[in-house]
Formats: sequence, structure tokens, C-alpha cells
Amino acid sequence: MRSTKRLLALILAGVMALALAACGNNGGSSTPAPAPSTPASGSGTPEPAPAPVEQMLKYGTDTWPAGFDPHTISAIAATRVFNQVYETLISFNPDMTYQGLLAESWETPDDTTYIFHLRKGVKFHNGREMTADDVKYSFDRILGNTDAGDIGALGSSASYYGGIDSIEVVDPSTIQFKLKAPNAAFMANLTSSYGAIVPKEVVEANGGSLAAIETMCGTGPFVYKDSVVDNYITLEKNPDYWNAGSPKLDGITYYLMADESTRLAALRTGDINICSLSALNLSEVQNDSSVKVLSYQSNNYTYLGFNLSSPKLQDKNVRQAMSLAVDRDAIIDYVYNGEATVSTFVAPAMGHWVWDAPKESPLYTKNIDEAKKLMEAAGYGENNRMTLTVAAGLLDSIRDTVVVLQQQLKEIYIDIEISNLESGEYVDIWGKMDTPEAGFDAMCGQNGSGTDPNRAVSFFFSSTGNANVWGYNNPRVDELCAQGVATTDEAKREACYLEAQQIVIDECPNLFFASPMEYFFVSAGLEGFAPYAANANDFNNITLK
Amino acid sequence: MRNYIIRRLLQLLPVLLGISIVIFAVLRLIPGGFASGMLGIDATPELIAQVEARYGLDQPAVTQYLRWMGGVLRGDFGQSFRSGAAILPEMLDRFGATAELTILAALISWCIALPLGILAAVKRNSMVDRVVRVAALLGVSIPGFALSILVILLLSMVFNYYPPLDYVGFFADPVKNLEIMALPALILGASMSGSVMRMTRSSVLEIFRQDFVKTVRAKGASEGVTIVRHVLRNALIPIVTLVGMQIGSLLGGAVVIEQIFSLPGLGLMTLTGINNRDYPVVQGCVLFIAFIYVLVNLIVDLLYAYIDPRISYD
Repeated sequence: MRSTKRLLALILAGVMALALAACGNNGGSSTPAPAPSTPASGSGTPEPAPAPVEQMLKYGTDTWPAGFDPHTISAIAATRVFNQVYETLISFNPDMTYQGLLAESWETPDDTTYIFHLRKGVKFHNGREMTADDVKYSFDRILGNTDAGDIGALGSSASYYGGIDSIEVVDPSTIQFKLKAPNAAFMANLTSSYGAIVPKEVVEANGGSLAAIETMCGTGPFVYKDSVVDNYITLEKNPDYWNAGSPKLDGITYYLMADESTRLAALRTGDINICSLSALNLSEVQNDSSVKVLSYQSNNYTYLGFNLSSPKLQDKNVRQAMSLAVDRDAIIDYVYNGEATVSTFVAPAMGHWVWDAPKESPLYTKNIDEAKKLMEAAGYGENNRMTLTVAAGLLDSIRDTVVVLQQQLKEIYIDIEISNLESGEYVDIWGKMDTPEAGFDAMCGQNGSGTDPNRAVSFFFSSTGNANVWGYNNPRVDELCAQGVATTDEAKREACYLEAQQIVIDECPNLFFASPMEYFFVSAGLEGFAPYAANANDFNNITLK
Repeated sequence: MRNYIIRRLLQLLPVLLGISIVIFAVLRLIPGGFASGMLGIDATPELIAQVEARYGLDQPAVTQYLRWMGGVLRGDFGQSFRSGAAILPEMLDRFGATAELTILAALISWCIALPLGILAAVKRNSMVDRVVRVAALLGVSIPGFALSILVILLLSMVFNYYPPLDYVGFFADPVKNLEIMALPALILGASMSGSVMRMTRSSVLEIFRQDFVKTVRAKGASEGVTIVRHVLRNALIPIVTLVGMQIGSLLGGAVVIEQIFSLPGLGLMTLTGINNRDYPVVQGCVLFIAFIYVLVNLIVDLLYAYIDPRISYD
């Protein structure tokens, strides 16, 4: 009896201690919180001189990277870390021109030869100097030309650089790529994190795999320090970084925070300085001076892709009717709070490559009468409605989009049956979308236009495109895609891709809706960060105040 | 008793064998495979075939299963397809966080549920009883994830407090570890306590009605002695059963709580494994969780004998 009482008392004391631990530490985690930018109101005592703010960027990330080998993974959760640790030969400026990273300059003596002059004195994080041999090794690894056991070739990175015929080390700081045929997308592909330059000895020391986080060893501004799986990754400043004066931060810690509302809560308390959030959170921070919002137009777009093996969707009129019945502005208002732009499959962020469909294409203006006529001509009507089974992709915004479509297409005798998919199912169905085995008439999702129109157009809509999973086949589009990639003459390329866009939008293998804005919610003291679609991870000039 | 334990442990083997076959089969039957998941929209049939060959997924299922089981029997759960990390050490490491969370949550739930459950039974139909019953109902019906997010928002807005984000183990830094664990454990404990409270109340009420309680009282025992020494002890069996089941399932990972609080536990490991179709990770985790679950059940059964001397396993 007495011992039971003692036990109970002990347990109660433990609980109270825990509760105190949870509530007793107001306003701070174990690391010092940044000094508030405005003095607390009502305090009459003089403020002591503010301590210098710790220059550690705390980033709330939504997903743990599925691996750390830059040659096999291109998911955003992983590339946001890769981009700090690894570097490519070149990268994009905000105006989509190229800037040198590991390459200081380059020349193209002819359509199929690219010579890069590498920066001298660049060191890997293990202290060894990077040379042209490393560039050759990295691309050999991507293309599967290295020793057996190396998994490089297994990544889809190989498809980015499949046009390379040979790579030659001219001297330790000069490398020459020979292409099989002229390929205008080659430079753009070099900016992808797939093209990261890695040191051979690290790959070999790890049995050919860079999948483990500890193996990260690049030339980038930040060096891997430590991590706890599914919790945090800490990078610290590379003291030997070639770009003197960069980065300004002492380090970055990525914290896994899957839930949007917890990311916003931690941003408000100062426990993180930066995170990406959806437009739905904008109104939350409207009157919050401790949070700033940095936005940019993404190069993603939302689509409804048709399974063209489905007999009812083979009729172009039916697909066009759906395009006419969709009110894209309503989707943008409802799904994105108005914070998105009407888009085709070449997202507006791609500038001069974009054919202005909202202005030029009649299919982009809602016209229910015309849509009904087309449907009736195809044999549909109030008593003969079409059922459309739609697989909805992984994002909340996509699931909302399908619901709006369901409402809008009701008017033209179409009833949508929605299935929300989990990631594995999504990828599975994606792979067989042009066959009856897919089990769906259409798939709604979000794709990326990439940085070169070759990706946006050929990859998704030429008959040989890897991501043409719709069964779409138009010889003229194929011809234009082939011409567009075979010349480096920008004007000729533009003409090819603009015409291809007109054809695809007229034939409607997919319907295209919106290109959402992307948002970084950052603490008010964060400065020196200007994200853009082709590079949202340049943290070199960030400072914290 | 020893024979009983040995017999039960031997019974574990067919159970685990069955589970290993089921999880192996289920993982391969659900839509989406590891290779297509890894390659995403860039996947081509050739690339998928290459990846499958690299990870031995092109072998017949029976060969794959036997190879995996052979490893498991030698104590080698294989490596994660994604990270290349050895699975067993990571699982044990992750189990530490999950076990700690479970133990703390269970302690908290007992501290809340047992006294309040007994109080509600003793003061049956009084105001106290009604308040406790409503609280218990709330505990049972509010989902853990909703409560977690509400509490996080409340603490951040009112007290400008957010629990530490970078996880440390208990032995590395006990104070910080407890600060990290406090909130999830409290929330989980509060959620668990609802059903324990209800069970305690009804179980105690039932015992109260029995004749021996009248005898105890007639003999002049105080109310406290009656409740703690006689009633509670007799009421414990169903409570222990319930708590055992709760602990068993929590040790398998409180997936949602672990995800919201980013606790690197077993639940989050399994979830990530499923999302990535990382077969060896999921297989290993499920097998391990099943093992723990069965073990907890065994402990509960043994506790019966300790609580109620009439139960004997000899």
C-alpha cells in the first residue's frame, strides 16, 4: 500500500516535471533565438546592445530526401540540399542566360563541340583540387561508362546526357564534349543537378554508391556536417569556397517538418528562418511583421492528361469541348487564391518560348454553348452523359483542381469520377497511362516545363518523348521537335516550338490550367535572397539580422 | 512458468514466419514498384529493368524471399535500397526514440487515467464523474494529429514556444531530450488516457458490486484500503489488457505523432519506407514491430499471473 502510494507520487512528480519542461522555456529553444527586430512594447528599461545574430539558416523542409546521390535523384527535397553541396559546370541567371560555376568560360567551335575552361583552384570538400578528370569521371558515371558496380547509369540522369558522343580531357583545366548530333538542350541540361561534379575517390571508397548522406562531397558553398535521419541535416560553410566572400552564412540546418501549419508556427517563433508554404497561408501572415513572403512564378503547370487509348477520348472534338468548358480563372481563384497564372505546358516563366494561348487560342476562352455543340455532335447529351474516370495526383492543389473540373464539366454532360492516388500508385499509373490497363480515362497532375523548351515540348508530346504517356502522336510535332533541338539558332528554335505548342493546344492531348506561384516564407531579418524558377536555392548572399 | 515462457517464445516463430510471407507478398502486390518510384516520370522500361536487376528485383519472388529470410536468420536485415544504410542498426536506433515516447506516454496516461477513473467510479453519477466521463470521451474522440497541431499552434502563438527541432537521444542530453519528448508524450498520453479512464471506471464499478467488497467494508477497512488493496487489484486485469494493446501498437510507431513532431522513430521509418517502396526497410520494420507486439502480449499475460494469484501458468 505504502509502496504503491510512493510509486504514484513519483509518477505524478515525473509528469509535472515534463509539463514544466514543456511550458517553462517560453520564447526559446535550446539554441538562442534571434534578437527581436523591434523592442518589446511597454518595456521602459534601456535595451542592451543586441548580440550579433547567429548566421545559421534554419530551413523547414517538407520531405526527407529519398537519397543523396545527385546522379540518381532530382526530387526537389533532395536538390535543395545538393545545390548547396555539389556544383555543376554552369547555371542559369534569372534572365535564363548562363553563368559559369565550375566552368569559367566555354566555347562552341561547331554545333557538336563544347569546350569548357574550368575554374582553377577549386577544391572538393575533401581538400583535393577539382580537375577536368573529375568532370570526365562524373559524366562517365552518369552514362554508365565507369567500372561495374557503379549505380550511376541507373539514374534517369543518363537520359539528360544521352546525346554525348565522347568526353576528352584536353588539359587539367579544359574539357571537351563531342555530341552525336547538334543538341540545343545540351547547355540547359548541364545546369541540372544531375550534372553534379563528384570526386572519383569518394565514389569508389563507397562501393560506387553516393546514396548515403555521409558521402556528400562536392565543391559547393556548404559542406556536410551531421544529420539525424528523418530529423535534420546540418551543412556548414565551406571555408575554401572558390567564390571568395561567399557564402555569408555560417551554415544551414534543414529540419524535417512535414506539416504546413507547424512550419508556419516554427517560423513565427523564430525556430526556423525559411520554409516554403502554399498560397493558402498568405492571409495568415498578412499582418505579421515577423514574416516576409518571397514569391516567384514557378515553371510548373497543372494538367489533365487524357488516356488516348480510351475510345471516347480519341475524338478530338470531345477533348476540345472540355477545354472550352473549363474556366481556368475560376480554378486559379478557388485553388490558389488567385495566386497563379493561366498556363500551357510551356509555363509563363519560360518567357519568349511561350505561345500566348490565353490570348491566341479560342479553346482558352470559356464557351459553354460551343462546348455543348461539340459534345452533342459527338453523340452526348443530357440523356447520354459521359463518365470520365480521373486519377488525381499527389498535391492538395491537384485534388482541389479536379473537384472544380468535376463541377465545370457537368455542364457539358461529363461526370467525373475522382480517385486520389498515393505516390506509388501515381507513378505506376503514369507508366501505363496510354493503355487500358491504366484503368483511368485521364490523370490530373502537375508537371514541370524544365528550363529548355525541348523538355517542355519533346519530352511530353513528341511520339518518342519519355514522358509522352498519353499515346499522343503527331508527325508534325515530332518534326518540329527534331528541328528545334538540332539547331542553336534561337529564332529558328522559337519558331519550331511556338508552332508545336499551337498544334498540341489545338489537339488537346492534355488540358492545361495554371502555373502556380511558389512562396518562401522567411523571417523578417533574412536578407539577400531572391529566388527564381531556374534557381530557388542560391543562398550565397543570405544574411540574418 | 519457465516452460510457459519457452513455449510462447517458440510459438513466436510460426507467427513471425507467417507475417514475413504476408508482408513480402503484400509489398509486391500493391501498385507501384521501387524502380518506377525511384525513376519517376523519367522512367523507361529499359531503365526500370536495369534498376530491378541492380537490386535483385528481377529474380523470382521465391528466390528474393529466401535470400531475404536467409539474411534475417543470420541477423542481417539487408540495406535500404534508397540510402544504402544497414537496416538493423537503424531500426534499433529508431526504436529507442519510439520506446521512449511510448513509455513516457504510458506513464502520463496512467497518472491521468487511473486516479480519475477510480474517482469517477467512487463518486458515481456525481459532477466529478460526469466531468471525468466527458474528458475521457474527448480523449478518445479527438484524433492525436489534430490535438498535436492545436497544441503546437497554441504554444507558438501564446507563449512563442516551439519544441526543439534537432533531435538528441536521451543519453546524449537528457534535459533536451525530455523537452523534445514532453509535448508528443503528453499529447499521446492524453489521447491514451481516455480509453484507460473509461475502462478503469467500469472495471472498478463492477468490482464494487461484488460481495467480497462488502465483506472488506464490514470488517471495518477504510475506504482507501478497500479501493487500492482490494478493488483496484481485482479491477486491473482488463486495464492491463487494454494498456498492453496500446503499448504494443505504440511501440510499432506512433506514425502520425512522429511525423508531426519529426521524431526519428520506427513509425516514421516505416512510413518513409512505404512511400519509397523501399522493400527491405518495410519488411524489416514490419517484422520487428510484429516481434515487439507479440513480446508485449507475452509480458501482459505474465502480468496477469502476478496481479491475480489465481492465474497460474505452471
